[in-house]
Amino acid sequence: MKKTLGIVLFIAGVVPALPADSNSAIDFSREIRPILSDNCFQCHGPDEKHRLANLRLDIREGAFAQRRNGSIIVPGDSAKSLLFQRINHADKARRMPPAMAERTLSDKQIDLIRRWIDSGAQWQTHWAFTPPQRLEAPAVSNAKWVRNPIDAFVLARLDHEGLKPSPEADRRTLLRRLSFDVTGLPPSKAEIDAFVNDKSADAYEKQVDRLLASKRYGERMAMQWLDVARYADSHGYHIDSHRDMYPWRDWLIRSFNSNLPFDRFTVMQIAGDLLPNATQEDKIATGFNRNHMINFEGGAIPEEYQTEYVVDRVETTSTAFMGLTMGCARCHSHKYDPISQKEFYQFFAFFNTTSEKGLDGREGNAKPFLKLPTPAQESREKELEQLIKSTQAALEAPEVKQAQQEWQSTLAAHPAALNHDGLVAHFEMDGSLVDSSGRYQHGRTLAGDPTFSGGRIAKAVGFDGQTLVSLGNTGSFDRGDAASMAVWVNYGGAKQPMPVFEKIADAKSRRGFEVWFDEPVLVAIQRRAAHVMVRLSSDYPASAIEIRSTHRLTQGEWNHLTFTYDGSGKAAGLLLFVNGKPEVVDVLHDALGGPLANQGELLIGAKEPDAKTFSGSIDDLRFYSRVLPASEVDYTAVHYPMRAILSGIGGKLTTNEEARLRDYYLRYVASPDLHTKQANLADYRKQSGKLQKEILTTMVMDEEEKPRETFVLGRGDYRNPTDKVTPGVPAVLSPLPAGVKPDRLALARWLVDPANPLTARVTVNRYWQMYFGLGLVKSAENFGSQGEPPSNPELLDWLATEFVQLKWDVKAMQRMMLTSAAYRQSSRVTPELLEKDPENRLLARGPRFRLPAEMIRDNALAVSGLLNPAVGGTSVFPYQPAGIWEELAFGDGFSMQSYVQSHGPDLYRRSMYTFWKRTAPPAQMLVFDAPDREKCTARRLVTNTPLQALVLLNDPTYLESARVLAARAIEEAGKDPARRAAFIFEAATERRPEKREIAVLIKLARQQMAVYTKDSGAAHELLKVGEAPVDEKLNPSELAAWTTVASAVLNLDETITKE
Amino acid sequence: MTLEPTRRHFFGRAATGIGVTALASLFERAGLGAMLPGLPHFPPRAKRVIYLHQSGGPSQLDMFDYKPGLRKFQGVDLPGSVRMGQRITGMTSGQSTLPVASPIFEFKQHGQNGAWASELVPHMAKIVDDLTIIKTVNTDAINHDPAITFIQTGSQQPGRPSMGSWVSYGLGSENENMPSFVVLLSQAHAINTDQPLFSRLWSSGFLPSKYQGVRFRSGADPVLYLSDPPGISRSTRRQMLDGIAALDKMRSEEFGDPEIETRIGQYEMAYRMQSSVPDLMDLSKEPDSVFEMYGPESRKPGTYAANCLLARRLAERNVRFVQLYHRGWDQHNDLPRDLALQCRGTDQPTAALITDLKQRGLLDDTLVIWGGEFGRTVYCQGKLSQENYGRDHHGRCFTMWVAGGGMKRGQVIGETDEFGYNIVSDPVSVYDLQATIMHCLGVDHTRLTYKFQGRHFRLTDVHGEVFKKILA
Repeated sequence: MKKTLGIVLFIAGVVPALPADSNSAIDFSREIRPILSDNCFQCHGPDEKHRLANLRLDIREGAFAQRRNGSIIVPGDSAKSLLFQRINHADKARRMPPAMAERTLSDKQIDLIRRWIDSGAQWQTHWAFTPPQRLEAPAVSNAKWVRNPIDAFVLARLDHEGLKPSPEADRRTLLRRLSFDVTGLPPSKAEIDAFVNDKSADAYEKQVDRLLASKRYGERMAMQWLDVARYADSHGYHIDSHRDMYPWRDWLIRSFNSNLPFDRFTVMQIAGDLLPNATQEDKIATGFNRNHMINFEGGAIPEEYQTEYVVDRVETTSTAFMGLTMGCARCHSHKYDPISQKEFYQFFAFFNTTSEKGLDGREGNAKPFLKLPTPAQESREKELEQLIKSTQAALEAPEVKQAQQEWQSTLAAHPAALNHDGLVAHFEMDGSLVDSSGRYQHGRTLAGDPTFSGGRIAKAVGFDGQTLVSLGNTGSFDRGDAASMAVWVNYGGAKQPMPVFEKIADAKSRRGFEVWFDEPVLVAIQRRAAHVMVRLSSDYPASAIEIRSTHRLTQGEWNHLTFTYDGSGKAAGLLLFVNGKPEVVDVLHDALGGPLANQGELLIGAKEPDAKTFSGSIDDLRFYSRVLPASEVDYTAVHYPMRAILSGIGGKLTTNEEARLRDYYLRYVASPDLHTKQANLADYRKQSGKLQKEILTTMVMDEEEKPRETFVLGRGDYRNPTDKVTPGVPAVLSPLPAGVKPDRLALARWLVDPANPLTARVTVNRYWQMYFGLGLVKSAENFGSQGEPPSNPELLDWLATEFVQLKWDVKAMQRMMLTSAAYRQSSRVTPELLEKDPENRLLARGPRFRLPAEMIRDNALAVSGLLNPAVGGTSVFPYQPAGIWEELAFGDGFSMQSYVQSHGPDLYRRSMYTFWKRTAPPAQMLVFDAPDREKCTARRLVTNTPLQALVLLNDPTYLESARVLAARAIEEAGKDPARRAAFIFEAATERRPEKREIAVLIKLARQQMAVYTKDSGAAHELLKVGEAPVDEKLNPSELAAWTTVASAVLNLDETITKE
Repeated sequence: MTLEPTRRHFFGRAATGIGVTALASLFERAGLGAMLPGLPHFPPRAKRVIYLHQSGGPSQLDMFDYKPGLRKFQGVDLPGSVRMGQRITGMTSGQSTLPVASPIFEFKQHGQNGAWASELVPHMAKIVDDLTIIKTVNTDAINHDPAITFIQTGSQQPGRPSMGSWVSYGLGSENENMPSFVVLLSQAHAINTDQPLFSRLWSSGFLPSKYQGVRFRSGADPVLYLSDPPGISRSTRRQMLDGIAALDKMRSEEFGDPEIETRIGQYEMAYRMQSSVPDLMDLSKEPDSVFEMYGPESRKPGTYAANCLLARRLAERNVRFVQLYHRGWDQHNDLPRDLALQCRGTDQPTAALITDLKQRGLLDDTLVIWGGEFGRTVYCQGKLSQENYGRDHHGRCFTMWVAGGGMKRGQVIGETDEFGYNIVSDPVSVYDLQATIMHCLGVDHTRLTYKFQGRHFRLTDVHGEVFKKILA
């Protein structure tokens, strides 16, 4: 958690975190290996393929090897050591590291190595790969200070450095620190008072126990694990629509609150599904390894992404539990740690046997997922399943089938016929644009290439949006003429309105008639629906009739459309039928005054420049010079097609036609009972589909029946599989037990086997980081050779072994840290101490850190009283500036493309419940250094920027909190400005302000009181920020003035800092 | 009390006993434009970058990479000897043929160097002598997400800092009232396309979050939460800030944590940004002649044209890295219509930006980059007709151009084969391009590193060579 980052890069780059006293023995692990690792291992390390001069400096055998001209290192004699000769070579061209390595050793580093060699060149294997050594707590200068063994290790170090611990922090500060650390929330005033007034010897310990037992504890613990587990509510790649992983998140909270031992916690997340008699909880927990990003970008290659998912699991699992950067061995063997490329893929193999697809997630969770129906949903699901089954059985009974057969053969003997009176044009579209009415007005293609394929009656003609067809001077009628048009249309969808037919004189008057689809709406992913429009125009818009269907027709569905016109010149005389039924229409124009007749061609599509031409299909287009009566329209749309199909017009029946026939038979021919059953079946299926969408799911791990094979991938590329590998763990660590099937369960148990040197260390280090700001190993994500050596290795090892001895009892481990004297110190710092130990690695003072993003907001909500305490559930959408999502989004019916803000209590949920969209994460959280959750993050960096000031000053969340806090101050603290100021200050910081501090706030209150008394309009404006109601009884100017005071207090460094 | 944190202010504190480490960290963290030690590695030719990213993949074959020979192959299946088994996206891999679509647009030669440009880009055509057109940029990625992530961060997979963040981290800022990495976004002109963007493209990745790009948006709040809320006047804000500073100062004296002093400085910078950013965004004082140069849309906030004009204003204010994104270049179908719309919306302002920078003497030390995340295929996606066609993604070669700071002018670099499918000479990988951009800024791309997870990461991973041919 490096706050002073820029500087540390150039200072810590040359000085170890804790400069050694020049007289003491040099610690190889802490002082020498990091130099060798960072400067030499790249070419003289574990990566065999890229190793130069056959020299290996990461292992003892290599470092002390005999060469033709001497030994690499001669213990006790730096001058004779080849290593020292080369790093200290007078000739720059011969000096190591060479220029191409982009690394240089400082004089100080060279001197350290010299002294290390001269003092005997004591060598150790990399500390993190050897089992933790449990030492007795050391003797210290001041045994009274020591509350538990942690303190002995801390104080021993301070003694060594000649430093003294700081006094204990005052109780208010201490309880605030403890409350944030354990629950992520500030203490209430009552809790502070109780603690301040508690005279018992174990007053503090009682607070620790109270907080560890709070259900807020689980939330706070989950918060840090969500970063590690790269939890999010969206898929992350490309379109980035939603997923539902909150059942996993809620399991996480429960598991912490029930103090699930860490070994069990680990096994469940890695391999819960493989446990004997795995429970639902066991399976939900495996969502840990499904939280990675998932892609369904059109055109992406599935194998590429399936590989990335598994790589992510390897990286996340190795970082989270072992602090290993295994991802570095994906393309070639690790440059610093003894992990070969082959071992990377052996580890990869554990996670490569899940039944996932490379591209998935368009509609939410990607396979495999676990269904989590409510009891009501579960019984309804069973019920529907049963109903569908029994209804289907009844409808498919042999006697029904036979009856249908008989009906079909009877019908086939009677050819289909329609009343041809007044038929002036008929395009069957069965392979050509021929007019079969006998008038020979054949169509022709003006642009593009119409296609003919399966339609409603035999074939239909298809349009791709680039095709334009003319049907000549067809369908001409005048204002006083009767006319009808009947046609099958399949709407192909578009983002704009889309013409279907037009026969007009010119684009200005639009004299003639037009049929088109208006502005579409999205009804599903990349699926649109639009109203049908019909216009008869003489001189648009002054002289025209225009009607719009009330229903929208959906993209990809066949509909039969008929309009009839009685020659009245009135909208009432223009009827629209959809699928044979009269359609209720909106009349948009009803003033047709002049002629309709024109010499234009009837076009399918349109000819205006820039307009989209029709896309979709057309079948069986008919024109009549009379008004078709409703019964005839119905016959044409519903009954005639079946007869036509049965007449053998299109040859052998297609499956689709068979299904249509069957549906028709059951609806119109069979007994009413079967008719009802058929209708019911459709309804059950619809309900079932709807139910399936409503049932909550959560993504989990599983094992494929035929597991995918794993290969070493050359250069890490899915296109270059080379040697086949089976699951296994890196040889440098303890082996898997003999005889155990090497699967995820074996891996999970291996991770928490006490023989694993990493897991316990990494875990206690992360707890330490939560409380002290920095881990004992600062690089919490990397315990490898390139990580930071532990600041207090004895303490780290003691904690790690203690954790195992405590049977991985998380709360017990944390209780020990929280009750230590080290934790309880004041965080005040002197210039001398700041100079000597700017990062507080030695712990001569308590931790002082700006709160994480979530806690900053939660604190404001809590101290104002707005916080909604609900635990778990779906994620929520608090205030966010408009457009943040939309400006980046894809749209087109995918979920979570636009931000719909919550209202009411959901505005005030804890920040961990804010919907996390990876491609546009909550803006104010990113500003306060939250990671984007694309990858596993084991620690957050902390920055201090002007954008943070803008959030705290101007984000409605904070202003609303300030306003509500100010109202409380006015109501609860009386009239005295000093008491009000103190009330606000104490609420936000838990500290009683000094007089001089109160004076600053009173001055601000007075200034603003004058401002808002003069300008009550401004007061009203300010009070309108945020949706929480304003108490009408309060004087608006006074409330506004105190709101600015509360806002200032919420902006104090102290308010957003854990002191 | 008004605090004016200046370099002197912080040095002033040095005398009062804060040690050099704490002082330097204060100095650095206050955002006062500190470069990393050792930077620049050599004298820079460009002080700042304006990167005009055309998101979706503009069709090089219809704009710059003129292939007159394609006419005779119109509709002919792309020969296997050209494709050479190259992987293609799932959108066209199922097509039974890959018919060559010859561009329908007219090409002419322009400028003294005779660079080819199509009728779609008449304004850019007029300034070709100021550009270096590279026809042979290439990427391994074939889909948007990995390709755009790659060209912006040096990795196809998420997690790395964007180029702007690297530059901001290495070179710091030269304007203490402005972020050093500013992002401007504009929406498509095309009708059919709608590629998403991701905030990861301007994310600081594993670098500290203060190096992330700051989006400047059109509308009331150009930077998130920049405006004072309704009912809070400037003077009230000033008085609040004075109160906050006074209290923070007391705490600082009490606790001695230099973070508090830094925070006071950040609040002052926020206050200054509240006037410096609106001042930047306020185009009302620009003369009509400027709007005429950038075209009619430049008066409309949030458009690409307005963003180009803002980019110039940001360059004037010494903002280190200005990143524009224009959406809508993904012409899988209806290319003739939609590409023309995209060009109509962007050609004039793009050319105007170059001319404007040049007129103001800023082009010499401003590097401007134009291009997408990949190009488009010579073969047609969907149905090919005389008037209409679409093109799929093509990474093996595509055209970008660079102009200004450190680049030769009036050059056309690289040759592609007669199908515009493969590179014949002078390949420039995305890594090479990134290395070259860094070079112009005085940064050796192999030496600007950040240690994360034990590795010394850099923008170009372990790849990239400076492409010297285009350097002035």
